[in-house]
This record gives sequence, C-alpha cells and structure tokens, in this order.
Amino acid sequence: MELITSFPLAEIFILFISAFLMPFFKKDKHIKIISISFLLIAFILSVFTLMFVFQNGPFYYAAGHIDTILGIQLYIGPVEALLSFVFLFVFILVVWFSFSTIDAEIQENRIKLFYIMVNLLAASILGIIFTNDIFNGYVFIEVAALTSCGIVVVKETQENIKAALKYLIMSTIGSGLILMGIAFIYAFTGHLNIELIHQVVLEDHETFQKSLLITVALFTAGLGVKSAMFPLHTWLPDAHSSAPTASSALLSAIVLKAFAFFLIKILYRMIGFDLVNQFSILTIILILGCCGMIFGSLSAIFQKNIKRLIAYSSIAQMGYVFFGIGLGSPFGAAIAVYHMVGHAVTKSALFMCSGLMIEETGHKTIDRYKGLGHEMPITFALFTLGAFSMIGIPILPGFISKWYLSLECIHLDKLLLIFVVLSSSLLNAVYYFPILINGFFGIENLQDKEYRSKKVPVKKTIPIAILILAMILIGALSKNILDFISPEFGL
Amino acid sequence: MPNILIVAPILFPFILSALLFLNDWEEKTRNRWILWGIILNFFILIFNFSVLEVNRIHILKFNEFVDIYFKIDMIGIVFSLLVSFLWILTAFYSIGYMAHERKPNRFFIFFTATLGVTIGIALAGNLVTLYLFYELLTLFTFPLVIHAGNETALKAGYKYLIYSFTGATLSLFGMFMIYSQTQNLDFMPGGILNVINENEIFYYFTAYALTFCGFGVKAGLVPFHSWLPSAMIAPTPVSALLHAVAVVKSGIFALVRITYYIFGPALILMIKGNHFALALILITILTGSFLAIHQTNLKKRLAYSTISQLGYIMLGLVVFNPNSFTGGMLHMIFHALIKITLFFCVGAIMHITGKTEIHEIQGLGKQLPKLMWCFSLSAVALIGIPPTSGFVSKWYLATGGLQSGSFIIPVVLLLSALLTAGYLLPIITIAFFKPIPNGEPVYQEPLPFMLIPIMILTGIVLLIGLFPNPIINVLETIANTVI
Repeated sequence: MELITSFPLAEIFILFISAFLMPFFKKDKHIKIISISFLLIAFILSVFTLMFVFQNGPFYYAAGHIDTILGIQLYIGPVEALLSFVFLFVFILVVWFSFSTIDAEIQENRIKLFYIMVNLLAASILGIIFTNDIFNGYVFIEVAALTSCGIVVVKETQENIKAALKYLIMSTIGSGLILMGIAFIYAFTGHLNIELIHQVVLEDHETFQKSLLITVALFTAGLGVKSAMFPLHTWLPDAHSSAPTASSALLSAIVLKAFAFFLIKILYRMIGFDLVNQFSILTIILILGCCGMIFGSLSAIFQKNIKRLIAYSSIAQMGYVFFGIGLGSPFGAAIAVYHMVGHAVTKSALFMCSGLMIEETGHKTIDRYKGLGHEMPITFALFTLGAFSMIGIPILPGFISKWYLSLECIHLDKLLLIFVVLSSSLLNAVYYFPILINGFFGIENLQDKEYRSKKVPVKKTIPIAILILAMILIGALSKNILDFISPEFGL
Repeated sequence: MPNILIVAPILFPFILSALLFLNDWEEKTRNRWILWGIILNFFILIFNFSVLEVNRIHILKFNEFVDIYFKIDMIGIVFSLLVSFLWILTAFYSIGYMAHERKPNRFFIFFTATLGVTIGIALAGNLVTLYLFYELLTLFTFPLVIHAGNETALKAGYKYLIYSFTGATLSLFGMFMIYSQTQNLDFMPGGILNVINENEIFYYFTAYALTFCGFGVKAGLVPFHSWLPSAMIAPTPVSALLHAVAVVKSGIFALVRITYYIFGPALILMIKGNHFALALILITILTGSFLAIHQTNLKKRLAYSTISQLGYIMLGLVVFNPNSFTGGMLHMIFHALIKITLFFCVGAIMHITGKTEIHEIQGLGKQLPKLMWCFSLSAVALIGIPPTSGFVSKWYLATGGLQSGSFIIPVVLLLSALLTAGYLLPIITIAFFKPIPNGEPVYQEPLPFMLIPIMILTGIVLLIGLFPNPIINVLETIANTVI
C-alpha cells in the first residue's frame, strides 16, 4: 500500500530519467524503444494509482518525506489519477503512431531530440497534474512550455520557427504572469502549498480581498494564454498546424488540458468554490469560454488547411472547458474535466487522421480531399467517428459534455447559455460535415487526380482505432466517470 | 419469447444494408436480396406485434438519460406498419427506376438502412432514442438526397443537412428543458408533465415552442420548409419516400410523441402552446397551397403540395379533440399512400419521356392511359372529393375543429381544398384533354416493376376511402388513450 502512494512520483522520475538516458544511444530505433517503454512503465504505474484511488480515495505524498511546509507535496485525487491515466494512454498511442510517420516529417538528426522532448513533456505534464505546490507547479509549467515549443520547432521550416517563436513569446508572458501570481500569494499567505494557502485564504481573506482578486486574475490570464483561452489563443493555430502531426496531437490533446486543469486547481482548491464565486472572475471566464466556443468554430469554418481547421476546433473545445469552469458550480468543473478527457482522446485521433491524410495525398487543403473516403476508407471512417463526437452525435463524449453543460445551465438558471452551447455544436457540424461529405460522396472529383498511395497500412491506423474505441468507451461510461470525479469537487 | 426480438426489425435492415455493402452481387441477385429482405422485415414486424408478450426493452442504459429504449405501442405499430408496407412497394419501384441510374448499389445500401432507422423512430420508447434515430435519419437520407452527385444536388444536400441539424438542435434545447424538470423522457400516453406551477408557464411554453419548431423542420412547417422543395433533386423513389413516409412523417410522428406523450394535451392547453402552433400550421397550409400553384415543375408542385398537406396533419394534432386527432392520423396514412402514388407516377413519366414540366405533358393521358388514370384517381383522392379517402380525413378534421369551437379551421380546410384542386386538376386536364403535339414519339407504359406498385397503391387509396372503418377504429382507440 505504502508503495503505491509513491507511484505518481515514480512516474515523473521515470520519464525524466528516460529523457536523460536517450542521448547515450545512437540509433533512432533504440531511442524509440526507450521512449515508449518508459511511457508504458509510467502508464502501468498510473493504472495502479488509478485503482488505488478508486478503492481508497485520494492521498497525499510528501516527496522525500520532508515536512509539508518546506517540502514538495503531491496530491492524487480521482481527477488527478484519471487525467494522468488518460494522458499517458494518449501519449503512448501518439508515440506509437509517430514511429511510422515522424521519419518523413523531420530531419533524421532531430529524431532523438523529438523523443527526448516528448518524454520530458510527459513528465512535466504529470508534474503539473499531481503537484500540490504552486511553485513546483510553476517549474513543471516552464518545462512543459519549453518542451512543447521544442516539439513544434523540431521540424525546421521557416513556418515552424516563426510559429514556435510566437508560441514561446506568448507562453513566456503567461509564465511571467503565473510567477507574479505566485509571488503575490506567497507574499500575503507565506505558503506555497495549495492546501495551506487555502486555509489562510479561508481564515482572513477579507484583509486582502483586492490582492486575492489580482492573484486570481494573474493566474487566469497566465494559464489562459497557455491553454488558448479566447482571445489569448492567437499562437495556437500557427503552432499546432505547422508542427509534426504527433506534436500537434500532443499539444492539442494534452498540453492545453494540463494548464486548464491547473487553473481549476488554483480556482477551486486553492481559493475555494465559495470564495471564487464572489469574484467576477468566473463570469469573465464564462464569457471568454462562450466567445471561444463561437469564434473558434467561426474561424474554423473559413480554414482551408485541415490542421488549422482542427486547431481552431481545439480553441472552440477549450471554450467548453472554460465554460464549465466559469459556471462556478462544482458540477460545472466536473464536466470541464470530463470534457478534457473526452476531447484529449478525440482530438489526438483527429490530428493523427489528418496527418495520415496529408501524408498520403501530399496536400494540406481540404478541397483536395474529395473522394478520400474511397482512397483510405479506414482512416476516413475513424476521422468520421471523431468528427461525430465533436459535432455531438448522441452517446459520444462530445454530446455528453454538451448535454450535461446544458443541464447545468438550466440548473443554474442561465437558460440563454444553452443557446451558446447548441449553436457552437451546430457550427461544429458546419465545418466538419463538408469534409466528410466531400470525402465520401465527392468521388467525381477523383477523376483527374492521382493519389500517391491507395491504402494506408493498417498498422498506422491501429493507434487511431484504439483511441476512437476509447472515445466510445468514455462516452458509454460517462456516468461512471462523472461519479468517480464528482466527489473531488464536493458533490 | 425473448424480448430482444423487438429490435430485430430495426437491426435487420442494417444487416441487409451491410450485406449489400460487402458483397458485390450481380444486379439480379442483389434485387432478390433487397426485395426478400424488405418483405421479410415486414413479416418480422407483424410477427413481433402479434406474438411478443413483453413490449419493451432497454438496449443500452448508460445512465438515466442516455437510455436506448424501445417500446411497442399502438401508434408505433401503426406508423411502423405503414412505413414497412410502403417500403416494399418502393423497393419494387426503385428496382425498376434505378435500373438505368448511376450507382444503384449505393442507393440501395442507404435505402435499406433508412428503413431500419425509420422503424427505430416508430418504436422508440423515449425521447432520447427518438432523437438519436432522428439524427441518424438525417445522416442516412443525406446520401440519397445528393445521389445525383452534381453541384445542385450537393447544395440541396447541404441545405437539407443544415435545416435538419438546426431543427434537431432546437428540439435538443427543448429536451434539455424538459429533462431538467422531470429527469425522465419516457413516452407516456397523456404526457409526463402533469403538474406545473403558474409561474412556470413561460418556461414550458418555451420548451414546447422549441421542440415543436425543431421537429417541425422535418415535418415541413413553414417557415422551416425550404429544404423540402430543394431536396426534389433526388431520384424520384427518394423524393417519394422523403415526402410520403420516411422523413416528413417521422417529423410528424415526433410531433405526436412530444405533444401527446411528453407534454400532454392538458399542459399544452394550459400554457397556450396550441395557439402558437395553430398559427404556424394555418400559415403552412395556405402558403404550401399558394406556392404549389405557381410551380411549373411537376415534382416541385407535388413538393409544395406536401407542405400544405402536412399542415392538415399537424392541424389535427393541436386541436386536442378526439375527432381531430383521428382525422390528423388518418390524413397521415392517406397522404402517405396518395403522395407516394403521385410521386411514383411523376417519376415514371420522367423515366419514360424525360418530361418534368407540366406544360410538356400534353396528351400524355392518351399515350400512357394506365399511368395517368392512376395519377388522376390519386389526385382526386387528395383533393378530397367524396367518397375518396381524402374526404374522410378532412371530414374528421373539420368536425373536430367545429367541436372545439373554432370556425377558422373548417374555413381554411375548404379554402385549401379549393387550392388543392387548383393545382392538381390542371395537370389532369392538360394530360387528358390537350391534343398530342406533333412529332411526339409513341411511349410505352412503364415496366411492370414500376407500374404494378402504382396500381396496387391506387387500388388501396380507393379501397381505403370506401372502407376506412377498421383504421378509424384503431385510431379512435389511440385517440381515447391520449386525450
């Protein structure tokens, strides 16, 4: 039992160690094996952690057994366990997928760098999820920001370097804001541990009401930049569309979510529900979430490049997460987490499908994909299922998030917000359906075109198929998942 | 009996569709599979209705709302039998019609699958299941609408998708509102929302208006009707199906479900939802008729006529009088039979002569007497001249309207009957009484595959007008349970 509580820390360490091991190997093949096998070990540990939390409930773990006031503490509740499990699952499948595609996308001497970055990223994401110490969280955030820039710039084209620089600058500003927030909170509470800060805040928040508001605003803006909250999202489409496919999948599916989850921690565990509801900050998050849902989708409609389209769709989907957070109710936050889980699996699958389409056709624009459903039926069918979830066909996770968000809106007496949810879901249909229709029924346009290959090897599509399967399961088990994570938010 | 059999008639068409997709059969083998499959499905359905003792099944209960649940009740039986019967005739007709069209295989794959979806709508036991199949219906009929594959067809298809999804979204909004109050969306005769507070009237009115407009999109409710004439670009068997049974009647059926099985007449009267609905419906009836007169294209004229006739059916649903309900449901059945015959005739004309405009069919009555007689008889039935079937349903509608103290309903019915005559009779006169233009080739009557379904349908239309009592009895039983 004692042993299992140390697993979360072990996951982080194992992944860091794997990243530092890789430079000692020369062959790309070995690097790939190291990368995935360490991810696999971490994944198995996360399965144990999840089971442990499922049976025994949340637990704390003091790193190095130092007293909590000085030392770094990890907190692993249901949400943390679930997110780490799902994210590592996605990581493994994306890395598996990247084995067959990365060689074509980046230069050979960069492959080693790519996998080092991926494993560092995985470690830092887990750190962000588990940590109960905001400064420690900050360190992991910085590592995650740098490594995610790294996996964008690893493809050395002018476009990538530009995008990565933009990403780096915006993300550094975000980090700066977060650090300022940490400094503020430390200045008037004297703590860095989330629970300890929470106690101090609860006791005498009236004495530093204004400073608390500033702190929350700083955290929201800082993490908002990193998780593409509208209107701070401008870096995202460039970075996600120019990066190698595997990187786009990771960035869109996981990195954005980790930062959003850290925001949930700050708002709901550090400050607390009751207190946070007194500030207008939640309303702002809610409004920005709505704007993201609408404008993200509206921008996606006008995109010609498939990866840009999916990237804009991510902005819209993050809008749902912020919408959930901004509702200011425990259940809203739980749905936000559920949406993260569902979207992580779906969006990575969509990016990987689009990567295969680009690879096989040699084109990035969607008007070239007419009739593609006949050329690469498996890939396109998987893409269709993923898109169905985004559009909100019943049972798939996209629908379930929308359903619960709408119910929660009614519950909170904010009927008009349902319009936002539903119109955003319609807008999703507006940009996903043409791709599907052209793919399956635009066969006339195939005539004077020649695709380089007729079929995608099955092994390339297996990781995507597993993700789509997981997506359907997440939809089917939505009730169980929500029941599992709701206690965390005091339900 | 294992109650899993309830889903057999829903699953079987999908299996058939999958078989068509997987096997590259020759034309004859394929046709045999389709015909026997669809006929078999009809008998599975009848077997189910007569033998099964348990009439409900939860297929997948993920949680209290995502609960795929089927239940057999009277109105579901009526609708599903109507659908599967017409599907058999359409299958025969399509085999004749599609013989020279492009990509018949793709057509039949979606054609058979749509049957399963529609029966799913008929047997759905709660609103979520109905909604799920309603969305699937859009997805499965879309390929049929764009079957021609050209720019216009794709545009019409997009229009169809956008309208349908917007409608479904509106109804979803309404569903959220209902669900958040009841935590239950199972269909119950008389409604599940019985007791409400005075101050909740506006809330429920919004919910009803949203669901009504939402499902009304597929039922051709003006101002959400414009997808229907555009969708005429599809091959004629599809138009016939879209108009007569599958799509628009599913919309109507969904309206019946929400009006009588979710909200319940008492509640709707209390929130005055029927006033709102009635206004839209009367506009629908008149707009449809007026627009139909201006159409010169045969299929388009029939399309607008459908909009107007659907108005009658919906009218019967919102007066909340047993007679009106019976009249509305009768008209649903009769209109299905009549409109599918009319479309089949028009399709046959197009197929044989390539003519699509009304002024082109001069003298066709002499060249294709059997076909044009069938057309004329059905048209007369739709106008509602006694003793045809259209008269019976309109009679019930009018008496129901009078009983509930509304004079505007019979007036609109009469006016619209005149207009119906105004847009259908000219077709008959042009075909029969104008001379054959010079240089016109001699046309052969359509293939038996096409002609026989048309004749059977015309026969049924006439018979059912003379002996409507068995159906009326069934519908009156339903009417008494729900009102």
